[in-house]
Formats: sequence, structure tokens, C-alpha cells
Amino acid sequence: MEYLHRGTEEHFQQPSLLCSLMIRKPFLFLFNQPPGGPGPAQLSPSLAAMSLQSSTPEALRVVNLLQERNLLPPTPVPAPTPCLPQDLQKINCNPEVFRCTLTSIPQTQSLLNKAKMPLGLLLHPFKDLSQLPVVTSSTIVRCRSCRTYINPFVSFLDQRRWKCNLCYRVNDVPEEFMYNPVSRSYGEPHKRPEVQNATIEFIAPSEYMLRPPQPAVYLFVLDVSHNAVETGYLNVFCQSLLDNINALPGDSRTKVGFITFDSTIHFYNLQEGLSQPQMLIVSDIEDIFLPTPDSLLVNLNECKELVQDLLKSLPTLFGKTMETQSALGSALQAAFKLLSPTGGRMSVFQTQLPNLGVGALQSREDPNQRASAKDIQHLSPATDFYKKLALDCSGQQVAVDLFLLSAQYCDLASLGCISRYSAGSVYYYPSYHHQHSPAQVERFQKDLKRYLTRKIGFEAVMRIRCTKGLSIHTFHGNFFVRSTDLLSLPNVNPDAGFAVQMSIEDNLDDMQVVSFQAALLYTSSKGERRIRVHTLCLPVVSSLSDIFSGADVQAMTGLLACMAVDRSVTASLSDARDAMTNAAIDSLTSYRQSVLTIQQPGLLAPACLRLFPLYILALLKQKAFRTGTSTRLDDRVFAMCQLKYQPLFYAMLMIHPALYRVDDLTDEGALNINERTIPQPRVLQLSVEKLSREGAFLMDTGTVMYLWIGRNCHPNFLTQVLGVPNYAAVPENLYLLPELDTAESQRTRAFVGWLRDQRPFYPSLHVIRDESQLKANFMQNMIEDRTASALSYYEFLLHLQQQISK
Amino acid sequence: MILLTMVARVADGLPLAASIQEDEQSGRDLQQYQSQAKQLCRKLNAQSPDRCTLEAGDMNFHYLIAQGVCYLSLCEASFPKKMAFAYLEDLHNEFYDQYGRRVPTVTRPYSFIEFDTYIQKMKKSYVDSRARRNLGSINTELQDVQRIMVANIEEVLQRGEALSALDTKASNLTSLSKKYRSDAKYLNTRSTYAKVAAVAVFFITLIIYVRFWWL
Repeated sequence: MEYLHRGTEEHFQQPSLLCSLMIRKPFLFLFNQPPGGPGPAQLSPSLAAMSLQSSTPEALRVVNLLQERNLLPPTPVPAPTPCLPQDLQKINCNPEVFRCTLTSIPQTQSLLNKAKMPLGLLLHPFKDLSQLPVVTSSTIVRCRSCRTYINPFVSFLDQRRWKCNLCYRVNDVPEEFMYNPVSRSYGEPHKRPEVQNATIEFIAPSEYMLRPPQPAVYLFVLDVSHNAVETGYLNVFCQSLLDNINALPGDSRTKVGFITFDSTIHFYNLQEGLSQPQMLIVSDIEDIFLPTPDSLLVNLNECKELVQDLLKSLPTLFGKTMETQSALGSALQAAFKLLSPTGGRMSVFQTQLPNLGVGALQSREDPNQRASAKDIQHLSPATDFYKKLALDCSGQQVAVDLFLLSAQYCDLASLGCISRYSAGSVYYYPSYHHQHSPAQVERFQKDLKRYLTRKIGFEAVMRIRCTKGLSIHTFHGNFFVRSTDLLSLPNVNPDAGFAVQMSIEDNLDDMQVVSFQAALLYTSSKGERRIRVHTLCLPVVSSLSDIFSGADVQAMTGLLACMAVDRSVTASLSDARDAMTNAAIDSLTSYRQSVLTIQQPGLLAPACLRLFPLYILALLKQKAFRTGTSTRLDDRVFAMCQLKYQPLFYAMLMIHPALYRVDDLTDEGALNINERTIPQPRVLQLSVEKLSREGAFLMDTGTVMYLWIGRNCHPNFLTQVLGVPNYAAVPENLYLLPELDTAESQRTRAFVGWLRDQRPFYPSLHVIRDESQLKANFMQNMIEDRTASALSYYEFLLHLQQQISK
Repeated sequence: MILLTMVARVADGLPLAASIQEDEQSGRDLQQYQSQAKQLCRKLNAQSPDRCTLEAGDMNFHYLIAQGVCYLSLCEASFPKKMAFAYLEDLHNEFYDQYGRRVPTVTRPYSFIEFDTYIQKMKKSYVDSRARRNLGSINTELQDVQRIMVANIEEVLQRGEALSALDTKASNLTSLSKKYRSDAKYLNTRSTYAKVAAVAVFFITLIIYVRFWWL
């Protein structure tokens, strides 16, 4: 459920006495300091001693990549823990929400340059959380100069004054804050929930609103050309919306509207009192206007029957259409006009290249260039119509989500701009057809269900603040940057991730720790204005070995992927590829020269960075960046969009899929969740070496799962899990695991279900044999192997070693 | 045309519901009026008149206070006052029915934002010039409009108090200066008498001296 703790403070748990005692210690430290701040002389020996103890020697263990072959841990790679004192780390922000590429921040920019690793933050601020403390307070305590929200990492000088941990200004504690409603005690401001939780949500008073909270407004813009009706998506959409109409987030003010288009734009008058929906057709697409001033966007509660009637009749209404043209640009303009008074969400469904009216696009892809080993052209938008429209939408608090369901080239590079700058999301179903690709249909259905029912925030803005001395210079994700660090998000959804790059402006000489705070101000679907605040605290170090021991290799890969996408669009794809390879070379060179004391032959890396070359190779072979293998331009652009948009966990699955052997699942080491035993097979390396003809293997790439059956697979597995007598009987397009009553089937389904439950979107499953068409997709993910156009992992390591020893 | 409607609690100015007519015709300039509306709600208290019209440029604010809740609307100057107050009355009746009991207990701003749908419907029926029935009901129900005080919004927000204080101070000053004048006159006459008396005594002494010496 959404909020575990609601409103009134009685719902908070009593903080345990032990916890409160431990919290006191750092404040005591600082209480004895001279007012200028924590003296480095007093604090650093103890912190340094702690850092030597708590930074595991494991992180700096030297690994010779050329010799050690089994680098992947058996379970998914966990996020590294910053080496802070135990009591600070316990209340630190969850790494799934807020993560930094270097968990020990370098003290100076020159030190960072020497380490040759990117410094940045990856956030997932609106993630669905199972536990979220909510505070309703008359005063929200913020620093007077930098406007930081009070957080667990501030220091209290005495009971009445607190020092901001971002700008070091001393502020007064307001009278109301002295009373702690949880323990009903007075005079202990550091025990209040705002100072005990790194992730917290405030109910905002009316000063945080520019206008009264907007209602939830949903507008659906549907392509009804002949192509669209052929694919049959309209049936699935209408059915899905009918099923979920009562679960749309909102209250009694929720509004919905529909626009359909082919070569003309069709509006639907759903006014209360009409016996059936009325269609109004506007054919003047050059100068679009709204045919009636109201009743195109109607209150859902009052007009529900009319809406349901419309959804039932919509698929058949256009059953015989012969229109082949699509005026997407005009439809978007009309939709914008309709939504601009209130703001809201626009969902656009498109099945072909828009070829009529404003925003018409040409087919730019040359099929002969798909497998080009040189540069890929046409990665940037062809026209800025969509970007301009997206910026207008962003100014009126309208977000545009794009669903692309086409078989031909659709110029996603241009169309994607409509979502990128208006904080929307892009969904892509290549070659969608209701008969020919049932797996896509299932995925579309499940994705729609999640899309329609997930939590949503309207008219949101986000600001990321960091300690004085650090500054943020580049932002990655779907939003519009309004002023230096204010991100304008007309809609915020729980599946969006963001990344930022930082630099160190002033030396962090006197500081032991630095903090980062992300504050997201949004209107909930029920008209409540809320502020979600996440605060992360990280230690500052001055030696290169400490920096290396705190490196987060997955976060670095995620950030490098975002940077490479930017580079391929502004410069060229080969530039981006070279930059990624150089990132690996530079960091390992820096390690070898500055940190390693004993020079040994071979390619040496610290244990925390041992997977770095593997991930870089995975990025180079990713659909977004690969050359030499035939890749459709839309697929490539979509992969780039996803690398920038997805939160880190799912992006890593996309970059480096997880491979498991599933024909010999046992209950050994299994997890017990909700009385279901979920087997935990080892994660295998992505190499055909690990595949075996006698087994069945499951590859999890995030949005798609492949279950590959070996030719000599044990017939036990085939009968017990797939329900077929032998290998030859495995059907071609199987995308479901049959629900058989055998132990093996239950284990397999439990495991696949557990993987699916961990993510909000629905990965489709394909069961493939050796001769299947999808085998190529499966094999393309075998990153460690050599292909016609790319190096194997071992060859890549040799290449790196050669570059390093130059 | 009714542009902005706001319902707020009088005790602390907490907004309870609001509705803004934002479309291309009315322009996007309502920010300033919105902040004035918020300030006004905070300034109102139990002593403010029950009904009042405030002029703000070429728009009028009309407000109605009933049962601790203030209903405020911003209309064009040409919009008839009778209709505006009938609209506010209607809002009050409906709002009190639905939420009246809960008003003192809420802390969150815009707790009753769902009332917006009703406000929009009401607005439409009042603005629709073809609904002649409105004028009929107004004539029978509404109190005499002449008794509704008309004031300027600037006065109410900022300078009102200062001007009345100045007024009393000025009248004080007038009476004080009058008193001073009469006092001064009195003193003047007294000193003249004293001078005359002194001169008279001198002359009497001279005459007696002359009489005594010469006889």
C-alpha cells in the first residue's frame, strides 16, 4: 500500500532507547567542538581508524583479471556500503533510492582527476516504498540560507540551535520543533522523525502551492489508421482501460478524455445527460481548434457509463477504415490545447510514421546501414517540433507518454523528444500484432495495467542540493531543467530514474562527511501537496586507495551509459565507444600507477572494480552502442532512451543479463517468502561455455526472459515443467510456463514469479529451442564470447592490458 | 464572468477549496489576484463585515462570511453584484451541508478540494446568460444590496488602518491646538492685567509722593 504511516504522529513507532543513545554520540562529539565546526584534529584519527577497520580489505584485494575467470558472485551484486560510523550508516538513505558512483568522496578535484573515475549520483526518488514516514507539521524546518530540509545528518549545537550540513549555517530550532510527538517529550529535537529518517515525506502547507492542487486528468490519444486497426491494439487497450477504470489513481475530481486521429482528428463529447457518446470530427489539421469548450474532458465519476460505452464501441467504430495517413502532430496540438488549463497526463498510441500535417517525418533509416561498422547516422531528432511541443507541455504541467507499436521505422529519435522533455515515458513494442506476436500482446496488457494503476504525482519539481564545495553540472533523465538545478517534472512516476554528474569546486579539506539531498515537491493524485525528501551522507577521503575501495562499479557503469548516450547524439557513436573503453583503461591505469605497491604482470584490478571491464564490454555490445551487427535504428534509439530513463537496478539487468541454470533447481539455499520456497540458483557467466546441451537455462534481461532448452535436455525437465514428451515437441512460440502439479514445475514457476515480482513492469518469457528465431537474440547476450564484429572478454582484457602498459 | 473562487477558514486563513477559471480568453494573469485573495483570507477575522465588495483595479472581490468560513470570488466589474452574492450564498449552503462539521478539525490546506466540481457546476449555471431563472430567485431571496459595504481593496489590505489612525490623530491635534490657543489667550490677558496693574501702582505712588512733598 502507498503509505504505511499516515498523517497524525501517533502512528510512529517509539524509537528504541539503544538507537537514541547511539544517535547522541556524534552530537556529543560535535557539541564539544569549538563553534567553528568539527575540528579535524579531534575527529579524524577516530574516523580514520574506523575507516581502516570497516573498509573491508576485501574491496582492495588485488585481482588479476587475466587469471581469475569466475568473477561473478553467485547472487546479484549488492551495492557497496559507505564506510561511515555504524550509527550514521544505519540511518543513511537506502541505496536503491540514492546511490553514488564513489562511496568515498575525494577531497579535491585534482584527486578526483587522478582517480579517473566519474563522480555522480543515481536516484530513484519516487520509488514505491513499503515504509514511508509521513509528517504533518505546521512548520517545515529548513535552513535559512540554502533552504535544505532538516535531516538526520545535521548537528545540534545545543537544544536550540542546529547547524546545516550543506552550508554550515547555524539556525534556530523553532518552538514547535522542540516538542516530540512520538515520545511526547520536550526538549529533544534530535529525536523527532525528521531527524531520524533519511527518507521522509512532508505534507506541504499552502506556501508551497502556486495554484490549488490540480485534479488527476488523463487524456488518451489513439491512432486509428488502417495500420493501427490491423495490429489490433485498440481491443487490448479498451479492454484494459475498462478493467482498470476504477483503479485509476485519483479522487472524485478525476477527469478523462479521448482523441482519435488518422488524417483527421476526432473528439468525443461525453457530456453527462447524453444517451451515447458523440463524435466530432475536425478535418482542418493545419489550424486545429477545439469543437466545444467543455465536455471533451469529463469528470470520470459522473460520466462513467458514457466512457464505458465509448470504450466498448471504439474498436468496432474504425473496423473498416482505409485511412493510411497519420496526423500525429496536429493531434498532439489539439490534445495540448485540451489539457493546458489544468495540466495532466497525455498517453499517445502510435503505430506508424506520422506523414501528414505538422510534425510529419520522413523515413531516414537505410536498411543497408544497419550492420555498419562505422558510424550510425540519424540518432538525433530530424525536427524540433516535438521538442518545442514538449517544452510547451512542460510549462503547462502536461506530461506525454508515448506507446510505439509499429513494425516499420518510426523515427523514435524525433518522436521520443515529446516524452523526454515533458517527463513522460516511452514504451516500445516492435512488430506488435495481435495474432503474430502473442508474447508482445501479453506484455502490452501487463504494462498497460501497471501504467494505468501505478502511483502518480502531478505538477512536480525536484531539486538536488549538495554540500558546499560540490556542484552538479549535468542531468540525465526525462525532465526539463528550469533554472540551474530545478527539474520540472509535470508527472512523476515510480519507474523513472535520474542521474547527475558532479564536480568538486572547492576543496573539501575540513569536512569529514558530505551530504546530498533530493527534494521532490508534487501533488498526489488525491490533491495533496507533498514533499518527499531523501538525504544521503558519504565520507570524504584523501587517499587514492580509499577512493578505489569505495567505488561502486554498477553505479559507474550506469552513469557512463548515460554519458555515452549523450556523446553519441552530440558527437558520434564511435566517439562514445572509445570514451567508454578509455574509462576502463584510465581507471585501471590510475590504480596500477598510484595505488598498487607491488607491480605484478597481468591485468590487475581491485576487487571492487573487478567487474568493470566486463560491464564496459557489455555496454559496447549493448544494442544501443554496438556496431557491425544488424540493429534496427528504432531498437537502438529505444535502448538508448531506456539506459537514460531506467533506475539503476533494471538498467544493469539490461546491460548485463543474469543467466541461471533451471533444469536442476533444488531447495538448497532457497528463500522462504510467504510460505513459498523459492530456489536460488547461481548466477552464471554469459558465455556459451556455461551452456550445456543437457540443460535448460533462463536468461533474465529485464524486460524479456529467455528459457533456452538444450538439445539433449533431460526428458524429466521437459515432461515435468513444460508438459511435452520430448525435445521435438516443444512448441515454437511458447511464452507461458504451463501450470503443472509437479515439484519441478512449482519450483520453476516460483523462481520465475519471484524474479518478476521484483520489478514493477512485466517481463515476457520466451521458450526457445536451438532452431528458434529468437536464438539470435539469446546468443547476442553472451557477452563474453567472440562474435564476427566484437572481441571476446579475454581478448578485451588483453586489449586493455596492452593499452595500460603503453 | 467569475474568475476565481476560494473557500477558506476565517480563524487562520487556511484554504479549504478553490477553483480557478484558467483558459486562453481570461489570460494567465491571475497570479496577482490569487495572492491578493490569499492575503485577504488571512486578514479577515470575526470583526470584518459579513458581506463586502472590494474593488481591485477593473475586477471586484465579493466575499461572504458565514459560520466561520469565508467564501470569496473574483469577478469582472461588469458582473452584477446581486448575482455574485446569490452565487456565494448557494456555495455556502452546499458547502455547509457537506463539510460544515469538519471545518474546525482539518489541518491540511485544501482538505476539501473535491468541492471544486460543485463550484464549477455552480459557476456555469450563473455565468450562462440564458438562465433567466437566476435573476428571479435573486430578487426574492437576496437582502437589500445597498446595505453591502463597498470598499477599496488597497484600504483593506494595507492602508485602511493607517488612514483611520491618522484621522483620529488629526482630530486630536485640532482639539489640542484649540485648547492651546485659549490657554495662550488667557495667559496673554493675565499678563496684560499684571502689566497694567504695575503701571497703575507706579502712577498712584507718584501721585501720592507729589501730594505729600508739595503739601
